[in-house]
Amino acid sequence: MNTAHVLSWFVPAVTSIFLAAFTLYIVRVVRGPTLPDIVLAIDCLSYDLAVFVALMSLYYGTPFLVIGALLLSLWAFIFDVFVSKYLVRRDLGGG
Amino acid sequence: MVVNAVVDQVLLYVGMALVTVGAVYDLIAGVGMIRFPNFFVRLHAATIGAVGGAALPLVGVALIALASDQLGPYRFGVCAVCLLTAAAILITAPTGSHILAYAAYKTHASPRKPCVHDALRKFLEEGEGG
Repeated sequence: MNTAHVLSWFVPAVTSIFLAAFTLYIVRVVRGPTLPDIVLAIDCLSYDLAVFVALMSLYYGTPFLVIGALLLSLWAFIFDVFVSKYLVRRDLGGG
Repeated sequence: MVVNAVVDQVLLYVGMALVTVGAVYDLIAGVGMIRFPNFFVRLHAATIGAVGGAALPLVGVALIALASDQLGPYRFGVCAVCLLTAAAILITAPTGSHILAYAAYKTHASPRKPCVHDALRKFLEEGEGG
């Protein structure tokens, strides 16, 4: 069975829906009135970018792209933790 | 051989269905992110975007990668990394949004303007009183 033929129209169709969602999140990043709004939208952006990278890995048939997805999802969590710590303590010191 | 082809077909179509449902979830979360009035309401849309819009399509991508003949022997690696990323998102996305909500509530970093019911304030006042 030739999955490359199916994926050659399926991945662009799904990716266009994801790109529409990206645009909505980027509007929230630019317009976001407060710092937690921006951080929340950037979290969603990085999770969706992980999915995007995995889909690109399927489309181009290369396994090395998908490693970035894991790092992106963990980076979003670290970003959350650091921003919350900055909001509560007002510094990023070791304490 | 026939059984292998049927299993590949089923994996491909189930994976495609999961990815499509996840894309629709993601679009709904994006619309909610724009339309909701408040940071604490937007958390709801963000969690839909993380669990339904990222973890579910990654499981679908893992299934498609298992059926893919383009990736060759690397398809098991792609499947494993996709499942691992989905598990990491399922663990870290609720934790991260909860930490962020707690910090935003404690420091008044974002306004609680359209507020229907604030159960945490009553809880905190009782805790400090007693």
